Amino acid sequence: MSEQKLKHFVPTPPRLPATNEQNLLRRIQKQCFNSIGNSLLTISVLVLIYYVAKSFLDWAVFNAVWNAATRRECMDISPDGACWAGVIDWFNGLIYGRYPDEEQWRVNGGVVMGLLWLLPLMNRRIAYRNSILISWITLYPFLGAYMFLGGTFGQDVGIIHMVFTSLAAGYFILLYLNWMLCAAGQSSLPERVTPLTSKLFRRGQHMNGFLLVWAVLSILCGVALAQVNLEPVPVDRWGGLFLTLIIASFAITMSIPVGILLALGRRSKLPVIHWLSMMLIELVRAVPLITVLFMAVTLLPIFLPSGAEPDKLSQVLFAVCLFAGAYMAENIRGGLQAIPDGQYEAAQTLGLGYWLTMGLIILPQAMRLMIPNIMTSFISMLKDTTLVSIIGLFDIMLMARNISNDKNWIGLHTEPLALISILFFVMCYGMSQYSLNLEKRLKAHRS
Amino acid sequence: MTLSDPQAPAGKLSRPAIEIDNLNKWFGSYHALRDVSLTVGEQEIMVVCGPSGSGKSTLIRCLNHLEEYQEGRICVFGQELARDQKSDRFIHQTMGMVFQNFNLFPHLTVLQNCTLGLTWLRKKTESEARDIAMGLLERVGIEHLADRFPGQLSGGQQQRVAISRSLAMDPKIMLFDEPTSALDPEMVKEVLDVMVKLAETGMTMVCVTHEMQFARQVADRVVFMQDGEIVEVGPPEQVLLHPQWDRTREFLNHIL
Repeated sequence: MSEQKLKHFVPTPPRLPATNEQNLLRRIQKQCFNSIGNSLLTISVLVLIYYVAKSFLDWAVFNAVWNAATRRECMDISPDGACWAGVIDWFNGLIYGRYPDEEQWRVNGGVVMGLLWLLPLMNRRIAYRNSILISWITLYPFLGAYMFLGGTFGQDVGIIHMVFTSLAAGYFILLYLNWMLCAAGQSSLPERVTPLTSKLFRRGQHMNGFLLVWAVLSILCGVALAQVNLEPVPVDRWGGLFLTLIIASFAITMSIPVGILLALGRRSKLPVIHWLSMMLIELVRAVPLITVLFMAVTLLPIFLPSGAEPDKLSQVLFAVCLFAGAYMAENIRGGLQAIPDGQYEAAQTLGLGYWLTMGLIILPQAMRLMIPNIMTSFISMLKDTTLVSIIGLFDIMLMARNISNDKNWIGLHTEPLALISILFFVMCYGMSQYSLNLEKRLKAHRS
Repeated sequence: MTLSDPQAPAGKLSRPAIEIDNLNKWFGSYHALRDVSLTVGEQEIMVVCGPSGSGKSTLIRCLNHLEEYQEGRICVFGQELARDQKSDRFIHQTMGMVFQNFNLFPHLTVLQNCTLGLTWLRKKTESEARDIAMGLLERVGIEHLADRFPGQLSGGQQQRVAISRSLAMDPKIMLFDEPTSALDPEMVKEVLDVMVKLAETGMTMVCVTHEMQFARQVADRVVFMQDGEIVEVGPPEQVLLHPQWDRTREFLNHIL
């Protein structure tokens, strides 16, 4: 009865949001010329921008010299302009350092291969994306080192390096074969081999198929590579942007695992691990990078048995990795602290142990929270690598300074530095844009 | 002092699932649980109620090794738990737990939340795990949300996901720690419905809850706790309608 007396509720239809539309001119007027003071400020800033831009463009573009044999010639043509001719003349040196000209294709090839290895990650629907990343970190360095160092299998290349290079090459080929088969709608190679392996082994069918195909491909690659004879290029010939990128990418990739381990160690309940991690982090963070670099180069050989002294690049890589790891550890620790206890408890009640809880539940969330900080660290690491020029590695910075010592280009300081500023800006800005993009993408499904 | 009261309905106490014997727990110097003894039978539905701070959450967190305790012993299916807080595989395989704040993993989809334990701990293949999880999500009525992230769901839906996530591990005992306290009134019912359905399947359940309607409907026994002690245990009609103790009556007058 009473239900009949109730009124039926009908929701009011939604309206479009109220707008106060303004055209562009109106907005400019409102934001830049809304008072006499602001108008003056706007005008003076515009004038300032005009002068700075004009004098820079005059120097860098309009009065610049692009073709000349020596700096003297540059000065004769246009005394007020940039002498890009010197930079162009030295361009190969800036990029490859003292790497032999005829072998430079190997650097290009190695770098391109490293990028190609990561390319499948762009495809978000591809399976086992993590394993691609892990293989890139663990296997690619061997292949890259083989490309850059050269040498012949069995002579200059050690047995471990040979094996891992072959494994890496095999994995790389398998990756692309699978991707192509997948794109063509076919079943992947491991899946095709699985029936065969399941007759041989009982358990872990899928894994066995994969391992078998990988092993076969690796052996084939090993045999093929043994026929190739690459001219050995010792590490001290490496240089330029190439070396900078090697050091920076090594620091960036290693800082994550090292940082994770140190951060977990610092939060560990085991006193020895806790104190060791904390001391290492605090020690490294309290010392400037340059000191760490010098220590690595001068102190490290003392601790090692004589004769086992590693080359300077390895020492530098070790130092940079330690330094970057210590900073990353603090970033990651900040992220770990932001994860509520409930997450640990939920993982525990499911029965996940320490490493699974960390790897599947806590770290993925902590890392997402820390993307801006992590990216800031990456960017500063990339820039910090220029310090290695001080201990005599021919990175892009030292090569740029060397131009001014060339008898043809004596005193040419500004232009090479301007060029590497632009290069670094492009790289760092790219990284920061990528991190913004990543944040946006990961945030999309969170709130 | 009222100790555990074996006034459980006949046939249900065929075998004790959980035996708690003189449990004592301190947070620092605060005595949180005082000589708590209780036996939960297999397939029994036990509702624990009491004012806040009475130790009911602490009690079921002890059962699940989320808190360590200092005295007494807890046996689950005859196996005694270690007293200190170490992850114990047997316990986590036997008991599932549902939290007040859901504690879903926000970076994983609903389906991944449910399959995580299956693929990593039970070594199921992805498609097996998916089938099990989808079956459970269907049981709680949210299979259409399987690919959403927890943050996109309402509280009631999240809690139902949490229940399926626990059930996916095929526990023998389910612990509920105030599963409806963080929910809007309209969503309480959808979660309780799931719990009622679960109770009907013969699951052993220990629920900390203030939903007396639920207690009356499905509980075999109700435990009333106050200041870390068990005041009263008995079938719901007895404890809820004819309480023996003044404190119980006072509490019930407040919440009913």
